Parts: sequence; C-alpha cells; structure tokens
Amino acid sequence: MSFVESAERQALRAAAFELASKYGHEYTLKQARSGGKTSEMWAEAGKLGYLGVAVPEEYGGGGGGIGDLAAVCEEFCAAGVPQLLMVVSPAICATVIARYGTERQKQRWLPRFATGELKMAFAITEPDAGSNSHRIATVAHRDGDDWVLNGQKVFISGVDEAEAVLVVGRTEDARTGKLQPALFVVPTDTPGFTARKIEMDIVSPDWQFEIFLDDVRLPADALIGESTDTALLQLFAGLNPERIMGASFSIGIGRLALRKAVDYANTRKVWDVPIGAHQAIQHPLAKAKVELELAKLMTQKAAWLYDSGDDMAAGEAANMAKYAAAEAAVHAVDAAVHTHGGNGLTAEFGLGALVTATRVGRIAPVSREMILNFVAQHSLGLPKSY
Amino acid sequence: MTNIVVLVKQVPDTYSERKLSDSDFTLDRESADAVLDEINERAVEEALKITEAGEGEVTVLAVGPDRATDAIRKALSMGAHKAVHVSDPALHGSDVIATAKVIAAAIRRLDSVDLIIAGNASSDGGSGGVPAILAELLGMPQLTHARSVTVEGGTIKVDRETADEGVTHLEAQLPAVVSVTEKINEPRYPSFKGIMAAKKKPVETLTVADLGVDASEVGLDNAWSKVLEAAPKPPREAGQKIEDSGDGGVKIAEFLAAQKLI
Repeated sequence: MSFVESAERQALRAAAFELASKYGHEYTLKQARSGGKTSEMWAEAGKLGYLGVAVPEEYGGGGGGIGDLAAVCEEFCAAGVPQLLMVVSPAICATVIARYGTERQKQRWLPRFATGELKMAFAITEPDAGSNSHRIATVAHRDGDDWVLNGQKVFISGVDEAEAVLVVGRTEDARTGKLQPALFVVPTDTPGFTARKIEMDIVSPDWQFEIFLDDVRLPADALIGESTDTALLQLFAGLNPERIMGASFSIGIGRLALRKAVDYANTRKVWDVPIGAHQAIQHPLAKAKVELELAKLMTQKAAWLYDSGDDMAAGEAANMAKYAAAEAAVHAVDAAVHTHGGNGLTAEFGLGALVTATRVGRIAPVSREMILNFVAQHSLGLPKSY
Repeated sequence: MTNIVVLVKQVPDTYSERKLSDSDFTLDRESADAVLDEINERAVEEALKITEAGEGEVTVLAVGPDRATDAIRKALSMGAHKAVHVSDPALHGSDVIATAKVIAAAIRRLDSVDLIIAGNASSDGGSGGVPAILAELLGMPQLTHARSVTVEGGTIKVDRETADEGVTHLEAQLPAVVSVTEKINEPRYPSFKGIMAAKKKPVETLTVADLGVDASEVGLDNAWSKVLEAAPKPPREAGQKIEDSGDGGVKIAEFLAAQKLI
C-alpha cells in the first residue's frame, strides 16, 4: 500500500499547476467581474490533454482515471484558475458516455471530450426534486422513434458555454409502467430548450441556469445506452466522480486561500515581527493545513477505489471526501480572511470571492446533511432518517 | 534529418533559498526543491521545434546525481526521444572543464550528432562556460547566446545577443554547439500523453568509467578553481524611492541605464 502518488501523477500535478499559474487568480477575478470566461485557459489545458486525461485512449483521451482528472482540477483551483465545468463535462458526462454509451455515442462525443473542445453540462436538480431523484418530474415520452422531453431544471452550471446538456429525466418502463430514470443528451440549440441565467452572489466566470424543456424532440439515440436498463448505474457512474471532483475543487481553493494567508502572514508586520510569528495566526492556518491534507487523502482513496472499479466502496469514500473537503476549504478560507484583517475582504486580495466559492462546496453537489444521512445509514447502520 | 543533443541540468528551484554545503562549499542539493533548469526547457523546446519541422531525434544529456532523473523525465515528457544520464559519485564538485570533458565523452559515444543545444548558463553555477569548452573539446563551431536559431540543410544560422555586444549574426556548418538565451522561445508544457510516454522512453545511465574518462580528471579534488569561503547573501535592501519633482522620468531612466536594463 502506498500513500504517495505515482511519478506521472505528480508530474501531471506540477504541469497543471504551472499552466494555471501562468493565468493566475487575478485573471479569474478580472474575467468573472467583467462577465468574461476563462476559455483561453480551458482551451490550452484541453490541447495539452489535461481535460481528457480520463477519456479512454481509443477515443483520443489520456487513458487515465478520475484520480488524474481530480488532480488536474485541484491544481487549477490551487493556482487560482478554477474550471468548474471540469466537474461536469469530463467528469460526469464523459464518464457516463464512456461507460454506458453505445459505440456510436462514444465515437460521436468522446474524441471532443478528450480535447476539451466539447463542453457538456449536466442537469439533474429540479425545483421540486433536489436530492430526491425519485421525484424527478422531467419526463420523456416515446413518439415513434423519437423522444419528447418536458420538464424544468435548476442550478445547472455553464449552460451558456455548453454545446449540449446531459439531462436526467424519467420514462415509463415498457413492461411495468413504472417511471424510471433515463439520461438524454440534449443539444442546447434544440427547439423547445431554453435557459435562463440565475443571478448569484458568487464571483465566478461560470454561471448558473434554469432550464426549461418544452416538448423537446430528440432522436432515438439521444438516450444514453441501448435502453433505459442501465440508467441507475449511469447515475452512480457519474455521481461518484462528481463528488470526487467537488472534493478536489474545494481542496484546491483551500490551498489557494492558505497560500495567500501564509504569504501575507510572513510579510505583514504590525509591530516588530511578521504577524505569522504569533500563534493566534499560526494555529488556525496549521489547522487548515491538517484538514486539507486529510481531505485530500480521502479524496485520493475515493478516486483510487473508483478507478479500480469498486463503485460501492468508492461511493462511501467519495461522500466522506466531499464532506471533509468542503469543511476544510470553508475553514481555510475563513482563517485566510481573518489573517488578512480588512484586506481579507477587499476586491484586490480576492479572498471574499473564495468565501462564497467554498461555501458552495457544503451545498453542492449534495448537501453536507445528506452526506451525514448517508454515512449514518450506510456506514453506521442507523435507520434511514428522511 | 537533424539529430540533436540537448544538455540539461537539474538545479535548485530559483524561487527557493539556495545554499552551499558547510563542509566543501558545493551546492547543498538537499536544501531546495530540484527542478529542470528553465533555460534547459527552452533548449529542449528549440530542439523539438527543429526536429518537428524536419526530421531527427532529440537526446537529452544530463550529468548529475541519481535524482537528476526527475529533470530528465521532465525533458522527455516535453517530447525528447531518449536520454543519457551520467551519474557517478566521483563527479561531485566537478568544475566546468571536467563537466565539459564528461559531456564530450558521452556525446562521442552517440551516432551522428548534428547539433548540440545548451542553455547559455545554468541558474545555479552560472559560469556559462560549458558550451564553449565543449565546442573546443569536440572541435565544433560554437554559436553562443542565441536568441534565434535556424537550421537549413547542413547550415545553422544564429542571432547572437549579449548585453555588452548587442546582436551579431553567426553562421556555421553542422555539427555545431549552440547555447540559447531566455529570448529564444517559450517552452511548451508537457502534455498528459507526453508525461505518460516519458516513463517508457530509454534512459541510458553511465558512470565515468563507462565513458573512459579517468577519475583523476573529475571531482572536487581535481577542480581548477576552489571555493575557499562562502557567506549567505545579505538581506534584500529597501528599494530606492524616487520623488517626482518634474524629473521623475529622467531619474528612473538613469536608474535603469545604470542597471544596464535600457
């Protein structure tokens, strides 16, 4: 058993960090505040294969795993240029298609996931069905060979940048008549598909959207897989990477905040020594470091389990990692803001933006409480509480 | 077809605090993170550009302790094809002449080398002597401090630029030795495929004896120069403040001119 990443993984981390450092946090803030995107960075990372590390080699990808993709995601965040759509496009959508898509779907979509040219959003949450996927009200009906999709989605990241959205809906089982999940690729220019931006108090180049699906007619092969039989498995295949990536995202932002805090604590002098010489400053930062490292270790474990094919064990670890990483990041940013005093909330230092950015990690992709519910029920054997 | 050897060196990270060891005043390699010297990344980039535009193979050559493997892998991950690593405890503390002799011996073992590309000076030793000495030892023309390089057939053309002498245009017949400056190019980032492929590329590890170099020609004891004393660099002094009373621009220009920056 080794707790040290392979030389290749470490080299990938170093390269990803170096690339993103060329752009830096100021670039992200500037783009976000002026309504811009960080697409140059995405494009460059895509060309280098960093966004397609987990896409199978036969479709032009790197042939690595979620562990590699999560490492890239974390390093980008740590260097100050988070790429939120990595959590969605290559991690969820490309994984679901690579594992459960038909050969035709793989050939159609995967090569452009490999290069980052394709951005695909992911839509599961609905106004009346948050964490409860059994209440998903987006329904697909068969009409001849076509599917006709109706419903509404909310808090969908990056729809404006995406060429298509992977929509989780439900459809009637031909045998039992019961509604069961089904995943569809919906190009954003399909008639009947509309998206509306949700104004958020988050400083991010990536925006949130509501989606309205109004008699959206799709060809038969918009449904991922040969039939709806694998839909539940598809969801699990996509949602574990989402948690692992979410955890890596939080850890990266936490590292960014901590680095800023340490730099500041080492240089800011009020009396005769840098403020970082005082334990009142040191201890919260040291605690943040401990928490981030622990969360990272759990994230690596979750990724390793996932990449080794153990979806069940990966589920528990991914949930725990996502929980721990979100908490660690919130604490790290809080300590970093406090270390900076008034500067901690100036636009110049950019830490205020990280307060909301890390706060998201406690809510999405699944709330801290739902993770505790999962752990209580599945890890501890307590009664289901909701 | 241009077969190129790129000289690469592992150095302490420029951004970390660099120290000499207390015992023999050689580089304290444990005190700082070790990285591929940035100027060598540019040398590798230039070699890759030349071979990608035509044909040929890029071999990276490093002289350094075992852990210099990491610097070699970085160069291979950028796209170099293979590597030669000369690693021998006897080399500890070697000066530029001994280092150049070892490099020359390693290059003579290779088939058909058309071009050798080095950085103009390492960021740790900084003597900038190896490329010129190497050219002398190999009997090749030297084109140092290149800010641009063009290879056409058997001819190499270089724009040479130094702070004191300005720009000169050099031309030579291959095989030749070139050293490049920071202006030569922007090095590429290794792609993920490059990183994964680097593991499988051949790295030949050689000792001084394998090269037929006599151990009495290398190492600290046989160096032509010796560090007798070393002191840590003084803490950074506060910058110079210029009050602008109408002549601020002139004063800034004078300061920059004094630093040879303009």
